[in-house]
Amino acid sequence: MDEHGTKRRDFLKLGFVTAAAAALGPGVMKPVGLWAATPAIKGPIKVGYQAVLSGTLAGYGEFHKMGALMAVEEINAAGGIAGTKIEMEVRDSTLAAPAAIQNARYFVDSWGADFLAGVDSSGQALALAPVMAELDRILMVTHAATEKLTEEEVFKKGIKQVFRICTPTYQDGNAAAFVAKDLPAMTWATINPKYEYGYTTWKMFQETLGKLKPGVKFVADSWAPFGTTDFRSHINTIMDAKPEGLYSVVWAGELITMMKQAQQAGLFDKIKHVMLPVGAAMDVLEGLGPEMPDNIWISGRYFFLYPETPQNKDWVARFRKRWNHYPAYVSETGYSTMFAFKKAVEAAGSKETAKVIPALEGMELDSPAGHRVFRKEDHQAMYDVPWGLTKADPAYPFKIMGKQVVIPAKECFNRPPFEGASCQPPFKS
Amino acid sequence: MSQSLVHVILAGISAGMFIWLVASGLTLVFGVLRVLNFAHGSFYMLGAYVCYTVLKAMGGNFWLGLLLGPLIVALVGYAMERFLLRYVYHLELAYQLLLTFAMVLIFDDAVKMIWGAGSTSSPAVPGLSGSVSILDRRFPVYNLFIIAVGPLVALGLYALLEKTWWGRIIRAASSDREMASAIGVKVPTLYTAVFMFGAWLSAMGGALAVPYVGLLTTGMGETIIIEAFVVVVIGGLGSLKGAFLGSLVIGLLSSFGTRYIPMLDMFLTFILMAVVLLWRPQGFFAEGS
Repeated sequence: MDEHGTKRRDFLKLGFVTAAAAALGPGVMKPVGLWAATPAIKGPIKVGYQAVLSGTLAGYGEFHKMGALMAVEEINAAGGIAGTKIEMEVRDSTLAAPAAIQNARYFVDSWGADFLAGVDSSGQALALAPVMAELDRILMVTHAATEKLTEEEVFKKGIKQVFRICTPTYQDGNAAAFVAKDLPAMTWATINPKYEYGYTTWKMFQETLGKLKPGVKFVADSWAPFGTTDFRSHINTIMDAKPEGLYSVVWAGELITMMKQAQQAGLFDKIKHVMLPVGAAMDVLEGLGPEMPDNIWISGRYFFLYPETPQNKDWVARFRKRWNHYPAYVSETGYSTMFAFKKAVEAAGSKETAKVIPALEGMELDSPAGHRVFRKEDHQAMYDVPWGLTKADPAYPFKIMGKQVVIPAKECFNRPPFEGASCQPPFKS
Repeated sequence: MSQSLVHVILAGISAGMFIWLVASGLTLVFGVLRVLNFAHGSFYMLGAYVCYTVLKAMGGNFWLGLLLGPLIVALVGYAMERFLLRYVYHLELAYQLLLTFAMVLIFDDAVKMIWGAGSTSSPAVPGLSGSVSILDRRFPVYNLFIIAVGPLVALGLYALLEKTWWGRIIRAASSDREMASAIGVKVPTLYTAVFMFGAWLSAMGGALAVPYVGLLTTGMGETIIIEAFVVVVIGGLGSLKGAFLGSLVIGLLSSFGTRYIPMLDMFLTFILMAVVLLWRPQGFFAEGS
């Protein structure tokens, strides 16, 4: 491990924490299944992790790394997976599809990876799916959210090697619509990213809200290319249309910029209902600090104050102690990915792709984000993340989720076979 | 004029002025040194980071950051010209591009090492943080300030180049290096000075962008440098007048495009560039051609 960035003293430092965590006994730490009875798997178990480590979103990669590395440290300190150690290598995926494919090939062909994980952009995830089938290794997607990955690639095309541990666009589009239907706003507009993620979420939000609340109107859409630093023209577009609600999946640093510029333009005085599906990201909350207005609807792929379980609280405390940061959502998904691999390998008694896939399908995992179940049909992890209204709290230097609404995943995640009205919420049955 | 139109125009002018602050140095350096400096955007990023660091060290004084930050970046520019660029002037353009592109990657990683990979939120400028109501819609005071700064920089550059002894030397060296050298101009020193000045201008752009963008990120120079390149190509490589008008045109085009033809806004800029390249390849205000 030394060459991959973990130092001996970190292990020592972690010893107590991990031992305590193991003693407290979250389900994921216990050896499960066949592995005790079968001969030890030939180790080490190698995980190739890729995330964006350069450019304006480089901070996301660092947060992936913190979560994943912490899991590797904890698992290894507690005896590894079925008695063998995990080894992890992290590579910069940038946000370009060719780079992601190169990394995957390097990991499997040159480095000898048993599992792959990570991936930030939806475009990259879609490009990787067929490559994973060819390389025949499991890829656990920890950030890319497009529903097409699990609906088209996994379910329809049958690429069984791809799984997703984070919430998909259903959380951004469908769950948002469930929250929006109870708001008084009848006219909505959007400033959304000018790429796949932006188009697909706005379409989903419109379709679901349209069904839930007949008569609702969508009056303006403005599209911000990747790297936008000046949202004034987009804000003008929205303010000209005078909607009652604004929906935006603009994310990360661009969201910080957009919120500041919208505040200056007086947008929040005119538009009272604002929904930011990825507004509960820690970089955004910490970046905006007190400048985040109150009563903005936010959500994410995980929020560190939810669920209020001992496992989550304990993990957040360990994370803060290890890294001096609150965990970002990609930290949680990166962390839980390693425990998903551990549980599946131990259940399968093997690290072979063909044996681990059925172990992962339908597998339940108790993780900091709560109880996850990997849906068998499309390999999407089902778990709940709340939507909530921003509010100040003296205990934190940033706004947190106040009033929370939980739309259960089974009510807002599209259902296989993903065709016809009854597959998209609101469900008939 | 309607509220909507006025705000679209204001947004366009302010966007254009942000681009101008970067494009001015880029075109000046090209005009004199004949080097297309990809790393010009890195000076923008460094300007933002150094300004922010000085600002924090000095108890939040933005103006001190704006004064000192770009000067420090000019010293980085000195090192780059004196110890690297100087050795590729006689090589083909491709080598210069490769070197300056390598510098982009080096500067990005240096920023990551010094300031960390995450984005850093930056504060507004006290005194310029509010907004004024223009036709019943709020417009940030800071952007009005930028709309004023842009033309001031243009006037300053005009005065410097056209009305001073320094400007005459720069123009002389830019139109004929050998002749300037023959009549006693220390061309290498002049090149270093102009490159430092270009770096200073770009760093000013970065430092001035900080309060508006509200955010510092590694790689922040890359978006703006592309726009600046487009502007410089449209205006004519080496032409300050062209860069100024080009910036205005691109700023307005992007504002109008985003507002009225949202699906084409990115295309418009590049269509304009393509048309200019086909119809007037040297750009609108190319000098000496």
